[in-house]
Parts: sequence; structure tokens; C-alpha cells
Amino acid sequence: MEAIHNLLLGFSIALTPQNILFAFIGSVLGTLIGVLPGIGPVAGVAMLIPLTFQMTPTGAIIMLTALFYGTQYGGTITSVLLNVPGEAASAITCIEGYQMAKKGRGGVALSIAAIGSFFGGTFATIALVLAAGPLTRFALEFGPVEFFALITLGISLLMGLAGKSMIKALMMGIFGLLLAMIGMDPVSGIPRFTFGRMELMDGIGFVPVIMGLFGLAEILMNAEKQFSQVFIEKMSSLIPTCKDFRDSFGPILRGSLIGTLLGLVPGMTGSASSFLSYIAERKVSKHPERFGSGVIEGVAGPETANNAHANGALIPLFTLGIPASPTVAVIMGAFMMHGLIPGPFLFKEHPEVAWGVIASFYIGNVILLILNLPLVGIWIKILKIPYGLLFGIILTFMVVGAYSISNSAFDVLIMTIFGVIGYILRKLDFPLAPVVLTLILGPLMERSLRQSLEMSQGDFRIFLESPIALVLLILASVFMIAPTFKFIKKKKSVISGE
Amino acid sequence: MQIQNYFARIRTLINIAFFLIFLGFPSISIALDFPQKGKTIQILVGFAAGGSSDVGARILASGLEKELGTSVLVVNKPGASGQIAYTMLSQAPPDGYTIGNTNFPSAVVTYLDPARKATYNRKNFIPLALHVIDPGLFAVKKDSPFKTLREVIEAAKANPKKIKICTTGIQSDEAFAILQLQKMTGAQFAMVHFSQGIAPAMTAFLGGKIDVFCGNVGDLIAQFKSGEVRILGIMDEKPSPFYPGVKTFEEQGYKLYNASSRGFAAPAGTPKEIINILSEAIKKVVASEEHKKRMADMGLTLRYMDPIQYAKYWDDYEAIIKELLPLTKE
Repeated sequence: MEAIHNLLLGFSIALTPQNILFAFIGSVLGTLIGVLPGIGPVAGVAMLIPLTFQMTPTGAIIMLTALFYGTQYGGTITSVLLNVPGEAASAITCIEGYQMAKKGRGGVALSIAAIGSFFGGTFATIALVLAAGPLTRFALEFGPVEFFALITLGISLLMGLAGKSMIKALMMGIFGLLLAMIGMDPVSGIPRFTFGRMELMDGIGFVPVIMGLFGLAEILMNAEKQFSQVFIEKMSSLIPTCKDFRDSFGPILRGSLIGTLLGLVPGMTGSASSFLSYIAERKVSKHPERFGSGVIEGVAGPETANNAHANGALIPLFTLGIPASPTVAVIMGAFMMHGLIPGPFLFKEHPEVAWGVIASFYIGNVILLILNLPLVGIWIKILKIPYGLLFGIILTFMVVGAYSISNSAFDVLIMTIFGVIGYILRKLDFPLAPVVLTLILGPLMERSLRQSLEMSQGDFRIFLESPIALVLLILASVFMIAPTFKFIKKKKSVISGE
Repeated sequence: MQIQNYFARIRTLINIAFFLIFLGFPSISIALDFPQKGKTIQILVGFAAGGSSDVGARILASGLEKELGTSVLVVNKPGASGQIAYTMLSQAPPDGYTIGNTNFPSAVVTYLDPARKATYNRKNFIPLALHVIDPGLFAVKKDSPFKTLREVIEAAKANPKKIKICTTGIQSDEAFAILQLQKMTGAQFAMVHFSQGIAPAMTAFLGGKIDVFCGNVGDLIAQFKSGEVRILGIMDEKPSPFYPGVKTFEEQGYKLYNASSRGFAAPAGTPKEIINILSEAIKKVVASEEHKKRMADMGLTLRYMDPIQYAKYWDDYEAIIKELLPLTKE
């Protein structure tokens, strides 16, 4: 009952013309970013944060989250029609989707993917609504001590799971933590690593850093590549047959469940969900030998799973304030730029933002369904814009965006420097996801640690006295030790990059 | 007779008019070209768009536009607790077309703290007006064992560094208020600094992790209405209209006045006539009913000080911070 009441409050906010417009803009841009190979959701969200500064916090978050799950829709289009994944979570869709397109059933694949995406996204949102109530009652139990333990758990999970090489992931995690050290010491007020620059006194801006590491670096990487622009343009029909629906029903249900559950786990990315769903479908199929020749189950399952994952990944962010993936970390940064701290207190202090945004997920998913089904032709046309031109436009947009963060050319400089760093790191095959996560979590972790110690006057036993913190810290140490026993090694290749 | 009288009256009038023109001429001739129509006046705000400093400045800017007959633009240069904007203000041409928002404590702390290596000090600014004040307060939760301010202070004396109290950072107005109180009474609190803002401090306070909440008048209005919190005292000369029945610190025997405040200043060297025009314009805007209503809607407490009062307030405030700042580094 309570959940329904809250959701109605949310709809009353999300359904204002202004917020519908923001959800629409987010969905369009998200689909666009999903369609464009080379620009992933992390870069997309980071690049568009500056655009939201003048908006209300609710409008801004509605737009950015719509953009995030919108990329999961758009990514499918290129996977199916071009055999090039628009973003990593749709990579697995290439296998069956492109085969279907070759047989002239591309339209059907896209339709089923869009329907599955809609179903998965909605499923995960319902899970979020149900989880929010009980978890937020927990909210006030979380003081600095418990918060520190929670962030430690988050970082330990990420470090244990991210990347192909554990050492490289750890190096990048520490690089992010080091960047987070820049700025004024939160307790003594002494500037650290600022090199005498006033601009660095509040810490290095995470938006220009992420715009550089992801946006600029991705563009530089793509400048080297040649994209084969081979289209499969003959599309018989968009309307799936009854048999298609029957075959997709099971995969969509299983995909929703897999995506939502994996979305909850920090460190898991959308690609892990879609990959797992594909494997699951092949396992349960009565005719596994036909996989690879363009079966609808291989599109329906993964495409549902990555969308359920995208919305599911927002559950830990909204309820605990823990970003489960790099894109969600960037969205968390957007919350903070608008003076909101995601987590249980958000529901108590700003119910209109929390529930308004959650309700907007339903609206966004409907908009995306409409955008992706009848209008798929438009997105294909966009792919015909020469990349040289497209990247030029995006680059201009990024420079203006970086400047507008605080009307300062310094941020443009930071973005450029980190663009070059990101390019070099990518060339050397370092994972960049841990940098984002530790860069955003680092300051929170440091502050909560020092606040805890101020409360206890320097006594570390305060972490053992709180039962919640104790449990979380024990879990964190288990996760940190576990990889050394190579339990997780098998999964590693699945979870690289987003 | 009547005609003669009439002529005499006209003569006197002309004489008076000439006299007035003669007297007023020099100041009018300089004043006339400020502000020039079409030339924009910039207000530098060292905090992000949408924050309360920004909102206050924007409301004032729209009033100033009408008053001065030229466009007035708010320019946000956030970062380093306002230091970026204060530096820009101190280096701006002193022609009246660039003025800045000056917040306390940041405008004072940034140049008093040697670690910040600020390139400006008090002498670089000419105060124009103070327009918003947000006094400090102490509060406890409804179920707290502390009933009065005295009980809290006595407890902090009896158990030094055991009573946990929140601030929004080591150089925040809350931290300075607590340091001042400690100096005054000998009490010792365990300060917990929530440098990311008031929201997490509030979570910790309402969750019972912090014993005493030290914040500003604007922070607890809703919680006071719902009866969740008990306000122990307000650090102002007079009680706050937001908290009927709550005594000031002074009324309870502690002469502590502390607030975060927002005003405006021009760079040093700005001609006195221009300062007068600007400060008179601000005064008129602040006094208007429309402005009062708009500020109240935003939850901002208006308090006007003219340039002379503001300059004195600034100097007094600087003296207090100078004394307290070394204590924050201990």
C-alpha cells in the first residue's frame, strides 16, 4: 500500500510536461549514444551532466537515468543491423541478431529486443519500488561508521571483480583513490596536491575527469578505427509472429530475473547479465544446436537482461547510495552535483526526487519502446553520418560542456589531460571502470572514516561496536580475500568493461 | 502688490534652483555616467548556480536592474569555498561594473588562512551591503536527555570530548561558533565535521549518531514544526521568527553571536560616488516589499546593513576569526 502511495506521488511529479520532456530528451540521447559505436553510456552520461546544471534536480536525474537505460535500447540496433555492438552490453546480441538480419528478420529481432527491454526495465523498476520501502526504514541506522563499512564493502567487491587483470584493476582503483585525495583535507582544511591551483582546492572535478577518461579517450580510440558501414537494409516486417512471441516469452522472463539480480551486485556490468542470459538460454533450449544461426531466444534473453540490469543497478544506488557500475557512479556524481546524496535518506528528505525519478523509469521505458519500434529507420539513418563529422560535433559539445561546469577553462584543460591519460591507459589495456568508482567513492570513504574517528576520538574499535558495520566489514574482507583463492577467476572474462 | 509678490517669489525660486544646481553639479556630473545604459553590471558569485547564495544574488540582481536601468548579470565562479570568485573580484577593474557576493565566514577565512595562499585581504574590498544573515543554533533530538543549553555545556565540561556535535567543516561558521563557546565556557566537544554539507550531518543527528546538532536557523524549520527536535538556543541578538519561544544564547547567559552571512562588495579603488550609487540602489531594492516577499519564499532571512555598518561587522568578524583560526589547526 505504502509503495503504491509513494509511486502515485512519483507519477504526479514525473508526469508534469517538463519532466516528460526531460525523460524524452534523455531517451532520445540515450538511444543515439547506444546507436553510435564507440561512445558508451559512461561517456554519454558524463558528457551530458553539464547540460543539466540549470535544471531542477528531479529533471536532471530523470534525464540522465533515461539516457542511461536508453543506451541499452539503442545498442541493440547496431548489433543487429551492423554486427557492431553500439555498447558492450549488447555485444552478445550480435551473434543471433545479425544472423536474423541476414535472413531478413532484422525487424523482428529489433521488435522483440525492444519489447524485452521494456519488460526487463519495468520488472527491475518494480523490484526497486518494493525494495525501497523496507530498506529506507533502515536509513537512520546508517551513520558515518556504517557508511564507511558499506563503502569499503562496495570497493572490495569492485576490486575483486573488475577487469581481466586483477593487478591492473587494483592499480586503476588506487589511481582513482589518489585522484580523490586532491583538494582540501576534510578535517584540517589544509590543501593537498593542489600545486597552488585554487581550482583544485575542492578536489579534482569528477565530471571533466570522466569526460576525458571516457568521452575524449573513446573518440581518440575510434579515430584510429575504420568502421565497416555495411548495412542490411532489407527489413521485411517489424511484427513478430505468434511463434516468435511464444519462443521469446521464457527468455524474457529469465532475462528479467538474471538482469535484475546481477544489477544488484556491485561490480557487475550489463555485459555480464546479457552474456549470462545468453548462456542460460542455450542451456535450457531444446535445440541448442540451432544457436548461432539466428534464433530469437538469443536476442530476447540478453536484450531483456541488459535492460533489467540497467534499472536493477539503480536499486543499490537509490536505497544504499552505492554505485554498482561505472555509469551508475557517474549518475551518483550527478546527484551530488545537485546537492543530493543518494541513499536511504533521499527517500526521507527528498521523496519528490526519489519517487519522481523512479516513476519516470516507467515513462522512459514507454517512450523508448515507441522510439525504438516504429522509428527504428531514423536511427539507422543517423549511422550514415560520417564519423569524422560526428566526432567533431561531439568534441565541440564536450569542450563547451566542460567549460560550463564552473565557467572555467581549467576544467577544459583537465578534460584534455585525462583524455590523453585515458587513451594511453586504454592502449595499455588498463580497465578504466575502477578509476571512476574509486574517484567518486574515495572522498565519501575518507570523510566517513574520519568522521567516525572524530566521534570515537581516534578509537578504531568504533567499527566493531556497530553490528551493521561489523557484518559489512567481515563481508568486505571475505570478498577481498576470495580472489586470491581464484574462486572468481572463471567469471573474469565476462565482466570486463561496460 | 500681488504682481510684485509674485515676481519676488519667482526670483527666490530661481535663486534656490541655481543654488541647488551649483551644489549638486559636481556629484551629478560624475554620477550621470554610471551606470551607462547598455553596459552590464556583473555580480560574481563564488558558489554554484541554484545554491542559496546564488538565489539571493539573482533575486537582488533583478531588483537592481529596475533600480539602475541597466542589465545586471550573476556570474557563477564556484570553487575553493568562494576563493576563486573573491580573487577575481579583488582583481576586477574598480569601475563599478564588477561587484561580488561576499559570504562569511568564507570571504574572511580564505585570506586569513595562510595555507590557502590568497592574494587578497580585507583591504581589497569595499563593502556595499549585507543582505542575508543565517544565525547559528544548537538543537537536540526530542528524546535527548539534554533539556537546556546549560545542561549541554555543563555535560561537555564534565566529560570533555565526549559530547558529539556536528559542523559542516573545520572552517564553517558552526566550527567557529563551537570554538568560541569552548573558549568562553571551558567546555570541550567532540566535533564531527561533515564537510560535504548539512544533509549528511542531519542524517547522523536524526539517527542518533550525533548528540548535539549545530547548524543554522534555516536548517531545522520543518523538524521544529513536526516536534522532532528541541532547539536549545539561537546565536543572535534577537529570537528567530522561525522558532517561536526559543531563547537566544545571550538570554541564557552565553554572549555568543554567530552566523553565516551574505553581502556584496566592490573591488578597492572603486570611486566613492559609484559606491554610493550601488549601495543606495541595493538599499532601495532590499527595502521593497516585493523583494522581501521573494526572499522569504526562498527561506532567506533578510538583514540589511549599509556600507558603514557592514564594514564594522566585517572588521569585528575578522578579529574573531583571527583569534579562532589557529585553534582549528590544533
